[in-house]
Amino acid sequence: MTVRAGLRGAPLVSALIALLGTDKVLGTREDLLVYEFDGAVDTATPDAVVLPNDTADVAKLSRFCHQHDVPIVPRGAGTGLSGGAIPVEGGVVVSFARMSRILEIDVPNMRAVVQPGLVNLHLSTAAAPHGLYFVPDPSSQKACTIGGNVAENSGGPHTLAYGVTTNHVTGLELVLSDGSVVRLGGKAVEYEGYDLIGAFVGSEGTLGIVTEITVRLTPLPEDKRTILAAFPTIDGASETVSAIIGAGIVPSAIELMDQLATEAVEAAVGAGYPLDAGGILLMEVDGLRDGLDEAATRIEEICRANGATTLRRAATSLERDRLWAGRKGAFAAMGRLAPAYYVQDGVIPRTRLPEVLRTVREVAQRHGVRIANVFHAGDGNLHPLILFADESELEGVKEAGLEILEACVAAGGSITGEHGVGMEKNCFMPLQFTADDLATMGRVKSAFDPAGLANPGKIFPTPGRCREFQLAARR
Amino acid sequence: MTDRIRPADAAACARAVAESAAASLSLRIRGAGTKDYLGEVLPVDAVLDTTALAGIVAHVPADLTVTVAAGTRFADMRAALARAGQFLPLDPPHADAATIGGIVAADSNGFSRSRYGGVRDLLIGTTTVLGDGTVARSGGRVVKNVAGYDLNKLFVGSLGTLGVLVECTFKVLPRPPVSSGAHAQFARSAEAFAAADAIVRTSARPAALAISGGPGGAWELLLQADGDAAPVERTLELFSRSARAHGASAQRHEGVPAVLATLNDVSARGDGTVVRAALPLAAQPAFASSAARLEGFTQFVADAASGIVRVVLRADDAVVLGGADALLAAARVCGGSARIERRPESLRARLRAWGDAEPAGLFLMRRLKEAFDPRGILEPGRSAAG
Repeated sequence: MTVRAGLRGAPLVSALIALLGTDKVLGTREDLLVYEFDGAVDTATPDAVVLPNDTADVAKLSRFCHQHDVPIVPRGAGTGLSGGAIPVEGGVVVSFARMSRILEIDVPNMRAVVQPGLVNLHLSTAAAPHGLYFVPDPSSQKACTIGGNVAENSGGPHTLAYGVTTNHVTGLELVLSDGSVVRLGGKAVEYEGYDLIGAFVGSEGTLGIVTEITVRLTPLPEDKRTILAAFPTIDGASETVSAIIGAGIVPSAIELMDQLATEAVEAAVGAGYPLDAGGILLMEVDGLRDGLDEAATRIEEICRANGATTLRRAATSLERDRLWAGRKGAFAAMGRLAPAYYVQDGVIPRTRLPEVLRTVREVAQRHGVRIANVFHAGDGNLHPLILFADESELEGVKEAGLEILEACVAAGGSITGEHGVGMEKNCFMPLQFTADDLATMGRVKSAFDPAGLANPGKIFPTPGRCREFQLAARR
Repeated sequence: MTDRIRPADAAACARAVAESAAASLSLRIRGAGTKDYLGEVLPVDAVLDTTALAGIVAHVPADLTVTVAAGTRFADMRAALARAGQFLPLDPPHADAATIGGIVAADSNGFSRSRYGGVRDLLIGTTTVLGDGTVARSGGRVVKNVAGYDLNKLFVGSLGTLGVLVECTFKVLPRPPVSSGAHAQFARSAEAFAAADAIVRTSARPAALAISGGPGGAWELLLQADGDAAPVERTLELFSRSARAHGASAQRHEGVPAVLATLNDVSARGDGTVVRAALPLAAQPAFASSAARLEGFTQFVADAASGIVRVVLRADDAVVLGGADALLAAARVCGGSARIERRPESLRARLRAWGDAEPAGLFLMRRLKEAFDPRGILEPGRSAAG
């Protein structure tokens, strides 16, 4: 861990209380411990936690941190899967628990203006009476916040057809690390000058803090068809994905689950997935109701031609919800198999699925670990869940994860599709990018955050933590 | 006479830019040269011609991605994708001549944006030469990727001021089995917009929903629907019903794509002054009626599903100046933005391409320009950000 020279510990807490008042600052040991982890496996304790009420609080805090050389790390619901909200270099964690309101649902313009702490699903629930919804639907959508979605450029099962967070954000209010407030974009689809919103979405808190978000709302599909297909082998399931796309069909979602994942989900949720299948596909088509049955039938025919043993189409919305509950509850269900898991997030061109999934199996065998696979097959976005029992296994588990990422990059893919780089994969960035590529990203970082106080230790390889990761030796 | 440099690959392009930077020679970045009218075009020392950077680099149809050299003509890529039964769902102006790099640099979108996304949504990877000759890649060749910053977005619409695009990767799609069009004539613009709005609020997601009007005449609403036969048929029914509800009668029209191409090229034709605005959806009808009342009003074209509006003015310079200023202000007042996309030579000095208002976050844009092009040699002054 890099320790900066700035204000830390109890003196920092006292100064923040003087600045913002006691009700906005947490600083006792037991309060701070709650903020040392997120949805991933790394931890670090903040020096203080601040709960702002509004943009002015965030600006005041940022100015103060800038003066006193204090890192500042934004946090939504803490569901992130790459350590994005972990204060790896100490400093202040900013929790958006109190900035969680919908400021406006603008039905005529099909936009919503929200605070960063708003829970993702709450927006779609509030927009539903107007026939609208917010497209990005990460599996954590009951808990994760829209601010977090912006930071990570979150996806979800339905982004295959409708895009990820960046495709649905048209306006942002930012507080930069020097405390300046910048409002970008608005309710139109574009504004003059460089697309700063596009550069900011997915920057994981390293360019500044978002304090208000304007998002696109989309008309709810008139109807949907949800299909479950079970295959004897995972290869059969993954080859079917390419066959469906190859036939010119782009469903709104194609999710794949292997047998181990199915076993856990059935034990936890009882979604009705067949337990004897090597791989299952969960697929959806949506839009106008006309033609949906025909599209579903074509998908089922392709599944059958590729060896599907079971085909089931949800007949009611209750059945559909049950099928999706299994998928969305899959990560949480891993508790049925092991005390802990480490999830990876590699992406590959979808035609390489069968081959890379074989590599994942080999990695599991080599390391003597169990790996469950639950992922967005249509996007080629893998989520191998490496199961383990206790901390003593963590190093080996991380090594297995790294080998999977190397296979993804070798197949022409990426080390992260939607969970972010964070502090988990920053040392692996050189697998995918040259020094010049990374230095170019560094120029963007310096333009927004010259002082380097915005979520330090994330995305970019850090000399301290990444020393052990000798890229040259691996190649 | 300005020099012309025509690099054959990324390395040669990087060398040429680095040499120009060392000598402080400013560069115009030009592909097919179809959009020389865009932005503040200032004199430069040399032209960097990208047309030798051409060809499809990679296309695996089942991956639904394509990687092309930036100097490739859009039409050539379109033909190559069509042979695999696929398409890049962009319908940019100058579609027959424009290059991929120019389309990205100018953020050239057409009417298909609402259904399929615009350049920023479809571009997933870039290789770029920055102003100091650094070769930088962002994104990749997979459809989902959050590794590092999404620099692709910065180059979209940057008009060459941040870097020279040498390679681009896009998401592509299977060609829809059916594509059909229809149109309807309305007495007033408000009715055309109301009819369009009823479609926008369904999950029909038409491939185009355009409104076109002129002084004194009718307002035409055009729809193009892509997809399987049944939803296309239903979309056309929804369109008929919506037209009827707003006092018009819809007709099938297989020539809609040709009409849309003409409307798209409203700035390409080279006469008159074109004000282009990006508006919140519901602000379009009021903007249209303000435009129609202006002296010199000649043509109005809207992508009604995205809020992109173009107004053509033709009159004495003084009259055009007044009208353009009024439209720029009207766009800002309703929460949108506007620019002068094209103006005659006589107005070039008096009518600024980006109007008088500073874009939000200009200081950040200037820092990025300085960081990516430290010597300020790439298209100096051309974009709203400098």
